[in-house]
Amino acid sequence: MAVGTPGSAPASGALRVAIIGNPNTGKTTLFNALTGLRQRVGNFAGVTVERVEGGFQMPDGRRITVVDLPGAYSLAATSPDERIALDVLRGHDGREPRPDVVLVVVDATHLGRNLFLASQVCELGLPVVVALNQVDAAAARGITVDVPALIHELGVPIVPTVASRGEGLDPLRRALVAAATLPAPTPRFALDESAETTAARYGWITDVIARTVRQRASASGSASDRIDAIALHRLGGPILFLVVMALVFQAVFSWATPVQDAIESGVLGVGHAIGQLVPEGDLRSLVVDGVFAGVGSVLVFLPQIALLFAFISVLEQSGYMARAAFLMDRLMRRVGLNGKSFIPMLSGYACAVPGIMATRTIEDPKDRLATILVVPLMSCSARLPVYTLLIGAFVPAMPLLPGLDLQGATMLAMYLLGTVAALGVAALFRRTLLRGPVRPMILELPPYRWPSPRSIAIIVWQRSVLFLRRAGTVILALSIVLWALATFPRTPVAPDAPPAVAQETQLANSALGRFGRAIEPAVAPLGYDWKIGVSILASFAAREVFVSTMGTIYGVGDAGESALADALRAERRPDGTAAYTPLIAVSLMVFYVFALMCMSTIAVTVREAGGGRIGWRWAAIQFAYMLALAYGAAWLVLVVGRAMGLG
Amino acid sequence: MTTGSSRELPVCTCPLVDSATGAEATVVAIACADRDACRLRVMGVYEGATVSVIDKKHCLLVDVRGTRLALGAELAEGITVLTRGIPAS
Repeated sequence: MAVGTPGSAPASGALRVAIIGNPNTGKTTLFNALTGLRQRVGNFAGVTVERVEGGFQMPDGRRITVVDLPGAYSLAATSPDERIALDVLRGHDGREPRPDVVLVVVDATHLGRNLFLASQVCELGLPVVVALNQVDAAAARGITVDVPALIHELGVPIVPTVASRGEGLDPLRRALVAAATLPAPTPRFALDESAETTAARYGWITDVIARTVRQRASASGSASDRIDAIALHRLGGPILFLVVMALVFQAVFSWATPVQDAIESGVLGVGHAIGQLVPEGDLRSLVVDGVFAGVGSVLVFLPQIALLFAFISVLEQSGYMARAAFLMDRLMRRVGLNGKSFIPMLSGYACAVPGIMATRTIEDPKDRLATILVVPLMSCSARLPVYTLLIGAFVPAMPLLPGLDLQGATMLAMYLLGTVAALGVAALFRRTLLRGPVRPMILELPPYRWPSPRSIAIIVWQRSVLFLRRAGTVILALSIVLWALATFPRTPVAPDAPPAVAQETQLANSALGRFGRAIEPAVAPLGYDWKIGVSILASFAAREVFVSTMGTIYGVGDAGESALADALRAERRPDGTAAYTPLIAVSLMVFYVFALMCMSTIAVTVREAGGGRIGWRWAAIQFAYMLALAYGAAWLVLVVGRAMGLG
Repeated sequence: MTTGSSRELPVCTCPLVDSATGAEATVVAIACADRDACRLRVMGVYEGATVSVIDKKHCLLVDVRGTRLALGAELAEGITVLTRGIPAS
């Protein structure tokens, strides 16, 4: 937007605009187009789980602040998402001044439903502007809206827009500024949700539509219907779902490899070059064995994490996620939840934090809490480095089916294990602490859409930056601390001792080695040595730290991830047996499937489960049950495996 | 179903789950928990609304004002509609 002309004084105070609309109206796309702020765009109910603010400047220098409210079907406040929206619009949200103007985004292809919210907003006593969005899609379907007539009916300014192409933005900006000086529209109905008021409101909307919208008779059976005939088929639907998920995980495992190799050799090259610049001694050891071994071993997983987020976003934006919820409803009801809870769970495959925030669309508090408690059991992208390292080192790439090998199948098994456990634990909570009737599902199935490459790129970029920031802060700091613990106090070794023996002696006598021995009895029943014990303990901050700690312990800083896998395979116990067998690797992966090792997840659970003491109580329950499950399951794998003569 | 043939069919009330797939029906009563009834109404399934069942699976797929809604089966049990034709059950 152009900056104010010289000499023009900006009007006093920024104008505050709040954007509201039904889910899937392109509300967030319009927000991005207006403000230029990058933010997630989705295609299932309630992707805007957090209030996001942006702004723009008018040519006269006047600043406009825009707040993106969560998607809402009405002002009934039946879900936490809708409550946030209503609180802001009524000025009841303590942190937020009441907006000066409300911008209602309506989907021109679904005016009959969208005008419900719009007409409610018109009764709040605030100036209103309506953005008639997706007018291009409406025209393609033979829908013509008589905009002047609609303005006359609603009594508020209406601007046709195509948010995805940035059309209609300047008239919209001018309308928003002009609306601040207009009186609020006259209320037509009481702002309640009684049967009588709702029927009267819809009756009025039906009349308005009859007077303002013309629709050409359309050919029967849209593309969405034809896709749904397969995607929602009793038998074909679940099969398609499993195929999609299997392909996603196999792709994450195999497509990322070339990029990972490139990053690995890059890290290797830089580490080697810097190592040459630093004189031999503790400083070089810190740089090569501490920083490069620790951070470098985690960096190589960036391509896999980026791919996983890309796939999850494609599922969300295409509209398939809502279909998955529909398919899963029957299964979810058996565990005491409904299909809607499956959407946050599926997002949990990428990261538990957005998954837990996505539970805000669930109306029932007990349903929501049960979902929050089990979302972290869905294997998130932070587990990928652990799975990938152990699978790469101990599971052969034996082909099983076309497009699926034993490595991919093992990965899929870990994801399935977490999913099944999440369902089982949800059932347990719904029958004990969170007992109550099963809430029936009411879910909109949005039309299928092509995902926007731009918004997928934005999501992947945001998530990659977040991951890199974590690698540069938490993982870097822990790598340096662990390097220091593994390096000091110094142990004198015979000058003629081979380097491997010298390193082992040093490590065993270091502070880390002594500490590891002290905690060894806790992990010994699982068949783990003290090195695994220390790595597990360090990874309570973030799961990826397991891999970086292993990198530091085995000092493979300038040799990369495949060298770490080699080091694990070569590791021997004092009695000469292999320290890591495929059985131990599987048991370790199972431990990571269940354990809650992520400070961010704990923080978001505290907040979303009610905050304060209540929030902490639920977070403690979540942490404790997941740790017990992790320990028990890892032990069971070991015992059963050994009884079967494995490992 | 054409308008001509539907005129000859009897008008009857039945739960939404039992109304014929593809036929239009008018909602006459909603009997379920207040919260769910409120949610249904704002989504366009209110007393007097015209809906049509697209598909019946473990839950009901309904067309409401051009929007696809998936409704849990027990909800659809509690929605009484006025329809032309013989109920499916």
